[in-house]
Amino acid sequence: MAAEATSQPADSAVAHTGESTEAAQSGGGLPQFRFEFWGGQIVWLLLIFAVLYTLLARVFVPRLRRVLDVRAETIASAVEQARMVQAEADAQATAAKAEIEQARTASRALAAEAKAKATAELNKRQAAEDERLAGELAQAEDRIRGLRDAAMTNVSSIAVETAQAIVERLTGAKVTAADIKAAGQGAV
Amino acid sequence: MASPMHQFEIHPVLTLPTVNVPGLGAIDLSINNSILSMMIAASIIVLFFALVTARAAVVPGRLQVIGEGIFGYIDDLATGIIGHEGRTFFPFVFTIFLFILVMNFLGLFLVFTATSQLAVTATLAVMTILLVLVVGFARNGANMYKLFVPAGVPWYMLILVTPIEFISFLLRPVTLALRLFGNMLGGHVALKVFAGFVVSLCALGATGGIATLGYAGALLSLGGVVALTSLEFLVAFLQAFVFAVLACVYLNDVVNLGHHH
Repeated sequence: MAAEATSQPADSAVAHTGESTEAAQSGGGLPQFRFEFWGGQIVWLLLIFAVLYTLLARVFVPRLRRVLDVRAETIASAVEQARMVQAEADAQATAAKAEIEQARTASRALAAEAKAKATAELNKRQAAEDERLAGELAQAEDRIRGLRDAAMTNVSSIAVETAQAIVERLTGAKVTAADIKAAGQGAV
Repeated sequence: MASPMHQFEIHPVLTLPTVNVPGLGAIDLSINNSILSMMIAASIIVLFFALVTARAAVVPGRLQVIGEGIFGYIDDLATGIIGHEGRTFFPFVFTIFLFILVMNFLGLFLVFTATSQLAVTATLAVMTILLVLVVGFARNGANMYKLFVPAGVPWYMLILVTPIEFISFLLRPVTLALRLFGNMLGGHVALKVFAGFVVSLCALGATGGIATLGYAGALLSLGGVVALTSLEFLVAFLQAFVFAVLACVYLNDVVNLGHHH
């Protein structure tokens, strides 16, 4: 097409100036096929396109590309950082959990130990108390036994005296306690 | 009423000397409305990206989001079609997409559409195909014939397939140029024709009598203009996108020749 345009005779290209409208109206057909205008349009289009391409390819596309790359990088690094922070937080949570678990075990052990100690103490004290009570009981029993024995001795002396008095009253004879005792022994 | 074709006419804006290139003939370098709209389109792109990237921050502002959106859209397209080498060809695809897109949109806002000039679309198409050929021969050398000989096809099919592939390759620049040109031309002609109907039917309605119905027709045409305008916005984007996709596909054919990915 370019060849077609430029193969037009030079005179038509020169002749167009100032009479383009009349030519279009009289000649008829599409104005696009008036080839005397093709050369200029093609040359200028190539020039404009070259300038536009150079500006876009050298200046604007790299600029936009850089911005997009920086953005992608920023987002990627932010996501990476967030992921790292999350991993760290997860690790910390795990550590805290382990720590809590450890503390719980330790406290459980401590509680068990304290309980055992308390139980032992209690048992010891109870045993001591029991011993003391048993001692007191034995002491009391001894005292009761003594009192009873004393009472029993009194009973025999009273009986001897009573027997002396009865014998004296009945017989008028005085008997000694030893006699009565001997008599009592013999009777028994 | 002006002809629907009037909008495509070229008017000189700034007269510059004609350069006589040996072998090509005289080339008039005068700046006309087509060249002016190309310059405006390129300036808008440069201005926009200068603003977008002037204070490019990691956390983008509103304008930067738009710029990055367009950037990412074409970047994904290039890497999606060409693969990991998409980045190499991304600036070209990006430039061609932006340039066509802004020229198409300028046609909807201003009075002239540079992409409705066959000279412009043909140059862009030939440029794309030339890049494909240069890259293809630089990468594959004599292996370029594989472009027309698909692997794994039996020899008796190749007799049929190879000429078809060859012809379709030759037609690529033609279809690339004509698709964009035709869409822009057709859309703008249709817009002008419907807009012309509004004026002429109103004029008819003004004559009174049964012709008053012309007002209804004018209203209908106005609705058509509105609908077509919104459609043209879609087409303006779509054609730029299609051009970029096809540039990627054609580049992929020669970059990844022989090994399909």
